[in-house]
Amino acid sequence: MDMETTLAPKMTAANVNVFYGDKRAIEDVSIDVSREHVTAFIGPSGCGKSTFLRTLNRMNDTIANARVEGLIELDGEDIYGPAMEVEQLRARVGMVFQKPNPFPKSIYENVAYGPRIHGFAAGKVELDAMVERALVRAGLWEEVKDRLSESGTALSGGQQQRLCIARAIAVDPEVILMDEPCSALDPIATAKIEELIHELRGRYAIVIVTHNMQQAARVSQRTAFFHLGVLVEYGETTEIFTNPRQKRTEDYITGRYG
Amino acid sequence: MSDALRIDPTDWRTDTMRRRIRARYAAERRFRLAGLAAILISVGFLAFLLITMFVNGIGGLDWTFLTGSDATDPDRVGIWGAFKGSLLTMLVTIALAFPIGVLSAVYLEEYAPRNRWTDVIEVSINNLAAVPSIIFGLLGLAVFLNTMHLPRSAPLVGGLTLALMTMPVIVIAGRNAIKSVPPSIRDAALGVGASRIQVVFHHVLPLALPGILTGTIIGMARALGETAPLLMIGMRAFIASPPQGFTDPATALPVQIFLWSDEVSRGFVEKTSAAIIVLLAFMLVMNGLAIYLRNRFETRW
Ligand SMILES: Nc1ncnc2c1ncn2[C@@H]1O[C@H](COP(=O)(O)OP(=O)(O)O)[C@@H](O)[C@H]1O
Ligand SMILES: [Mg+2]
Repeated sequence: MDMETTLAPKMTAANVNVFYGDKRAIEDVSIDVSREHVTAFIGPSGCGKSTFLRTLNRMNDTIANARVEGLIELDGEDIYGPAMEVEQLRARVGMVFQKPNPFPKSIYENVAYGPRIHGFAAGKVELDAMVERALVRAGLWEEVKDRLSESGTALSGGQQQRLCIARAIAVDPEVILMDEPCSALDPIATAKIEELIHELRGRYAIVIVTHNMQQAARVSQRTAFFHLGVLVEYGETTEIFTNPRQKRTEDYITGRYG
Repeated sequence: MSDALRIDPTDWRTDTMRRRIRARYAAERRFRLAGLAAILISVGFLAFLLITMFVNGIGGLDWTFLTGSDATDPDRVGIWGAFKGSLLTMLVTIALAFPIGVLSAVYLEEYAPRNRWTDVIEVSINNLAAVPSIIFGLLGLAVFLNTMHLPRSAPLVGGLTLALMTMPVIVIAGRNAIKSVPPSIRDAALGVGASRIQVVFHHVLPLALPGILTGTIIGMARALGETAPLLMIGMRAFIASPPQGFTDPATALPVQIFLWSDEVSRGFVEKTSAAIIVLLAFMLVMNGLAIYLRNRFETRW
């Protein structure tokens, strides 16, 4: 891709194939994930966006019949290589899911869980500070600071999703993957998440899957268009939306199929 | 304009409509009556059992009875010996069946690959839960007494035998409880870098615990009432003093009831009923505990 990048990409994927049993869901995808931009994956439902996203933090490992081929690197390290510990990888490459999935525990415990299992905090004071910082960065602190001991599942959908973002942020990831994070939210909650993505940009490399093209245009600087498991086109978001090089991309963004 | 396209509002007051509504109401009433009758039948039997046992047995429930052991004279018999035998037996059963059952359930649900072998194991466990208890008694006799030469009539052997019987029940209840934990919770924990063991112990098991406990207690209550397998391994001897340990000869509540009900002396009729009251009270406490634990630990989403 001939786009001007000042820094080396955060993640690179080269000739990635993903199979579910015998069925190939991702076909020979190569892509760089920029460290200072938001990258959006768009494409019709079932084209493999989630599947590809989940290869980036090896969540596909949990699916019994899924198989990944090809090379995926995080800062030049092969994430499927023997030297990579998958638990550490998932802390470094955090994930926010389509449906908000807070633990049925308190708001505090939700955010503190990651730092706890990785032994980040030396004591209660330090852990408190980490929880607060994560909640502040996720734009949720003001709303929940007086009720940290209430259940995370009692929050509204949008708040739950920001809690999940806080939970991911709390382990200080380098990359945050979001799989249609707003598809279960109302427009106001969606706007808040989009605003949050703007604020988080630069601090974390962000990849967001969305089937909402306006959203991709609003939040991302890079857009990758997938179709039937193939990466059709990848480039600057403005280019993709105003001047696509591929016929299929143009058909999709002008709403001719989807 | 065809009939299907008419736009005038439906007339809900025609005779046909009214007849439909009346028929619907009648069906509702019939269903409610049938349901009520079904409940009354089971409640009636339970009430009959409780009342007869209570009337017959309450006179036999005195201090001597509650603290004594078996005797030849019906006036001097007591239930404590059999109660303690049951208690020791249950302790062995739960100490064995609970951890092994839960570990098997976790392994099968969270770790085992889905293949022919796990299918075979699954079918075997389901079948094991349906095997008549007398067969487990024979198994206990063959394995624990004849092969391993453990002491006859001991709560240890009784507990081991009942554990074999209870384990599949716990495995099945455990698997169902684990299965009902939403996958999104596992994803959430894995997503922040939890290992599989951490996912299981921090999230899945705590959420599955109410279901596991309920299943366990139901299995234990069943084991508590089991008589046949204990007869097979010799827990039917005449024992005049309560067991002091897991290897002492002992009997158990249901076996004691069975033995007394066989006595010719009329004084034993009252004692049999009194023993049934004690056994039922023990079971009620266990079931109450199951309900309490379920309500206490249940997660509401
Ligand atoms: N666990 C799975 N097992 C088998 N096939 C799957 C599984 N998950 C997804 N697929 C298939 O892979 C393809 C891509 O799915 P997905 O990545 O979820 O698409 P998207 O997120 O773009 O909607 C679809 O055809 C889907 O049916
Ligand atoms: Mg998807």
